[in-house]
Amino acid sequence: MADDKEPSQSETTSSTIKVIVKTPKEKKEFEVEPDITVVSFKEKIAEKFNSTADQLVIIFAGKILKDGDKVSQHQIKDGHTVHLVIKSTPKTAPATQTAATSSSTSTTTSSSQSSGSQGAQPSTRNPPNMPFGLGGLEGLAGMGMGGANLGEMQQRMQQELMSNPQALQQMMENPMVQSMMSNPDIIRQVMSSNPQMQQLMERNPEITHMLNNPELMRQTMELARNPAMFQEMMRNQDRAMSNLESIPGGYNALRRLYTDVQEPMLNAAQEQFNPNPFATLVGGQNADGTNQNTENTSPLPNPWGTNPAPTNRQQQRTTANPSSTTTTTTTSTGTTGNQSHGAMFNTPAMQNLMQQIQQNPSMMQSMMNAPYMQNMMQTLGNNPELAQQILSQNPMFANNPQMAEMLPAMLRQMQSPEMQALYTNPRAMEAMMQMQQAMQTLQQEAPGILPGMMGTMGPVPTPTATTGTTGASTTPTPSSTTGSTTPPTLPPNVLSQMMQALATGGTPTGTGATQPQGPPEARFQSQLEQLTSMGFINREANIQALVVTNGNVNAAIDWLLRTNQS
Amino acid sequence: MLTVTMLPFFTVPRNFVLLEELECGMKGSGDGTISWGLKNENDATFTYWNCTIIGPPDTTFANRIYTLEIYCGESYPDKPPKVKFCTKINHLFVNSAGKLDDKFHALMCWSRNSSIKQLLKDIRTSMRDKKNCTLKQPPENSTY
Repeated sequence: MADDKEPSQSETTSSTIKVIVKTPKEKKEFEVEPDITVVSFKEKIAEKFNSTADQLVIIFAGKILKDGDKVSQHQIKDGHTVHLVIKSTPKTAPATQTAATSSSTSTTTSSSQSSGSQGAQPSTRNPPNMPFGLGGLEGLAGMGMGGANLGEMQQRMQQELMSNPQALQQMMENPMVQSMMSNPDIIRQVMSSNPQMQQLMERNPEITHMLNNPELMRQTMELARNPAMFQEMMRNQDRAMSNLESIPGGYNALRRLYTDVQEPMLNAAQEQFNPNPFATLVGGQNADGTNQNTENTSPLPNPWGTNPAPTNRQQQRTTANPSSTTTTTTTSTGTTGNQSHGAMFNTPAMQNLMQQIQQNPSMMQSMMNAPYMQNMMQTLGNNPELAQQILSQNPMFANNPQMAEMLPAMLRQMQSPEMQALYTNPRAMEAMMQMQQAMQTLQQEAPGILPGMMGTMGPVPTPTATTGTTGASTTPTPSSTTGSTTPPTLPPNVLSQMMQALATGGTPTGTGATQPQGPPEARFQSQLEQLTSMGFINREANIQALVVTNGNVNAAIDWLLRTNQS
Repeated sequence: MLTVTMLPFFTVPRNFVLLEELECGMKGSGDGTISWGLKNENDATFTYWNCTIIGPPDTTFANRIYTLEIYCGESYPDKPPKVKFCTKINHLFVNSAGKLDDKFHALMCWSRNSSIKQLLKDIRTSMRDKKNCTLKQPPENSTY
């Protein structure tokens, strides 16, 4: 073994392992037989590192390898890395160190007697693994979004922000914001500091479940980002709807579904309207731009069109027509038109403020949480022209086409926090559950039509959620408004995805027909227990993982660990 | 935008955290100045760890290999591990028995995001501290 001069050439064809030898400066790969002794391994290494075996100390997994040991003894496997320390040949004991069998005995006594101790303070820097901003965010929970001062500040900020597209852009583009968004920890913090959200989670495990599914969220994002895909989806839905109608009894089923599920849902959601004091702040901007992004989503004829409408629905319908721009009551209260935005934003004071925002993550975060902020985002999202304007004004975006493309979709996506309003309403949740049950029934009765149905069912909650924050009669989103009464013209909507996932067991593109029946808790009972016994105590996450991996425990663990890291 | 915030939040079980750290150590992540692994390779509880730190150059710790033992209790990583030096060291936060003081900042600020690797890095960094880097060191290879 020891006389094998070239590490790359092995004496036998028997299994050798590749071991990476790493010093602080360089690393080299060696191929060795597992049963080579450490001392012969050192000899091999010494050649490559221009030193003698005596000078070398090999460390693996926190242990100094002794010369007499075999490499295999230390569980060094293919691809593992050992650390190498090359001792400088000291004057005192040039070669005595490793000649002895124990590498831990050395006679080197360097100049270790020097002056004594000084009092010291540890450096109080943050632990380096604490991502930027997290520390600041810890204060966030305390700050909440209701603090009087903060509220005022936010309001001011928001007004100014609205009139300054550039600043908004800068804010979005700020690496800090971006990193915040991509950091699960921060996000977790934000989520858990929102009492509404907490309540919701406690009350509705199903929702927690849904919210816990990053896959789902990602898909939704994707969808929102990709208008073509969305349109395609809508078209499919339409077709499915008409197919459904031609099935004997299908039409009735749809109708029943509507009256049994959709209506209670709308009612429930409307009950909880708390007219948003801030709605008027941004509502006005919608009036002229709202309907511009609907042209491509015009659907096949509305299967509901001939359906006798209950009063509630009629009420909704008045706002349903995409071309009826008069549906918003807040039109007149808007203070700023699109044109004035650019101007107001360029004031030095504003820029100053923006800088502050950028430097203070928690402030930024609570701002984002504020209802009027969400409202604003929504407006932006629904008004591509405005967004376009913003985009074209900011050189950063102009130079980054990808970013520019993404922004409108992103803005649209921002509406989703308003779903929170829906979630916190137990009755709405109940209705949603009913809906799910009804869907399951439907699935049993006529599995083929389910995929199409999903799309039509899913979006239902959206208009309610939207109106929940903007006031009953304010429906700035034409697309989502139409969604309430005319299912075929549905927006790319988170809930539709969610519902689909719920019903099809986490595979939004699946047909649903092949999925086993019963809630995942029941289906994956034994796997759940397994996971729990392994220490994965978050039941909802476990269920989610099992749903995604179709009950494969190993895959579920992988999934859990992976999603937790990302 | 807040949709992005709806990521899973659950805690990775202790053993999976430690398994990850073990693999990380085997693959030699890091700059080669620190190393860590299980004391007993077959320890399925991942409790006792051996680690080495190579003293940073230009300090009195330079060119020395410090071995230390880390004990990861049941509540790891919620609670910080216990650290004890095997190699004798003269360090402000290491007591006469070789134990790393709980007031060492990396232990004080311990969070679930912390890791053995990070802890070792921090210890090594602390050797560069002005107050530490000139401390006379015990004879090399003397142990507690």
